[in-house]
Order: sequence, then C-alpha cells, then structure tokens
Amino acid sequence: MNEERRQILEMLSAGKITTDEADRLLAALGSQPVAGSAAASAEPAAKSPPKYLRVMVEDHSEDTGNGKTQVNIRVPMQLLRAGVRLASLIPQPALNHATQALHEQGVQLDLSQLKPKNLEELVDHLSDLTVDVDEENTKVRVFCE
Amino acid sequence: MIPLMLVVGFRTYKGRGLRLWVPLFLVWLLLLPLVLVLLPLAFLALAFLRVNPLRAVQTGWQLLTGLKGTRIEIQDGNALLLIRFF
Repeated sequence: MNEERRQILEMLSAGKITTDEADRLLAALGSQPVAGSAAASAEPAAKSPPKYLRVMVEDHSEDTGNGKTQVNIRVPMQLLRAGVRLASLIPQPALNHATQALHEQGVQLDLSQLKPKNLEELVDHLSDLTVDVDEENTKVRVFCE
Repeated sequence: MIPLMLVVGFRTYKGRGLRLWVPLFLVWLLLLPLVLVLLPLAFLALAFLRVNPLRAVQTGWQLLTGLKGTRIEIQDGNALLLIRFF
C-alpha cells in the first residue's frame, strides 16, 4: 500500500472524510500508475537494434509447376551499411552520368545530392520496416530481426 | 570479424546435389600475398578515379566483415540453392 492510500484510510478512520469521499479519492488514485512502476511503464524497454534484414517468399501456386517455391534471404545490416558506403565512393562523373540517364527516363533524382549520412539514416530506419503480402498462394515477408 | 567458412549447396530437380564447405580462412591466407601485390596498383587506380583510397579500403573491409551471417536459400520444388557465410 502506498503513502497516499494509507493517508486516505487514516483520514477516514479519524472521521475527517466520509466513506464516499474516501471512495472517490481511492478511485482517483487507482487511475494513476503506481509510483514504483511509473518509470517502467513510461518508457518501453529499449529495443536492441536489428541485426538482419530478412526476405521470405513462399509460393504454392500451380503455375510454378515444380511444387512449392521458397526464398529465404538473410542480409546482415552491417552489409547493407557497407553497401551504402560503397555508393558514396562512386566517382562524381559516374554519378552525373547516372543522374542524366535517370532524367532521360523521367526520374528527377540527383544522385550527387545523396549523402552517405542520408543513406545511413535510411538503413537505420529499416528496423521499422515490415512488408507483408498475403495472397491466396503466395506470401512475401520483409522485416528486420 | 571476417567470415571464415562458406557453405555452397545445390540440389537438382532430380534430387542430385552437392554441398561444399569452403574454408574461407585458407582462401584469405592464399589471397593475402596477391592483395599485398595488387594494393599499390589499386591505390593508383583509385587516385586516378579521384576516390579516397583509404575510404575505399575501409569500405571494402566493412563489406567483407558484413558478409558474415549472410544466408541465401532458394528452393523450387526439389531443387535448392544454398549460400551461407559463417
């Protein structure tokens, strides 16, 4: 029993408050989190950063002909990070060439404006990504673990 | 830590297959002299392309270490392709 509840019950036994008032006060206290558990409930337990990106595909459709098709890929996040750092090593003339080719295809994206920091942020936020595709015979799941 | 073992496996639709355990630590040891010989040339090529050679080496190392834990399994009916880095 915490201190507030004890005080309310003492006030009730001393006749300072009526039973109705005590009931209301106790009910009000009941809606508040208990002091000891407040910190625990306020912040969810810190999640450990994901280590892998998983891609899982299951296809049971008849047109594959050979029965069930399964794809199970696990890519370490560290490898993804290294991959995006590799992108930052692409020489500027090559980036300009790629940007021009993208513009010709109608994609207005300037690759030279993509900084390693932006790409790393993208990888960091992959942990929030979950893709679930459920069809009659096909299941696709992309998630981090 | 760089991967020390690679498993490559496959199985055909007829059920015949093979699973190879490749001791990568031996491969790295064998490649080391070659890398040391080629490194100055690679540095020159990177300088010519205006890429920071130290950054390139660092990224290459990160790619290598990042491979550990990679797993690729593709199964189609009875056929299977498997690649795992340990």
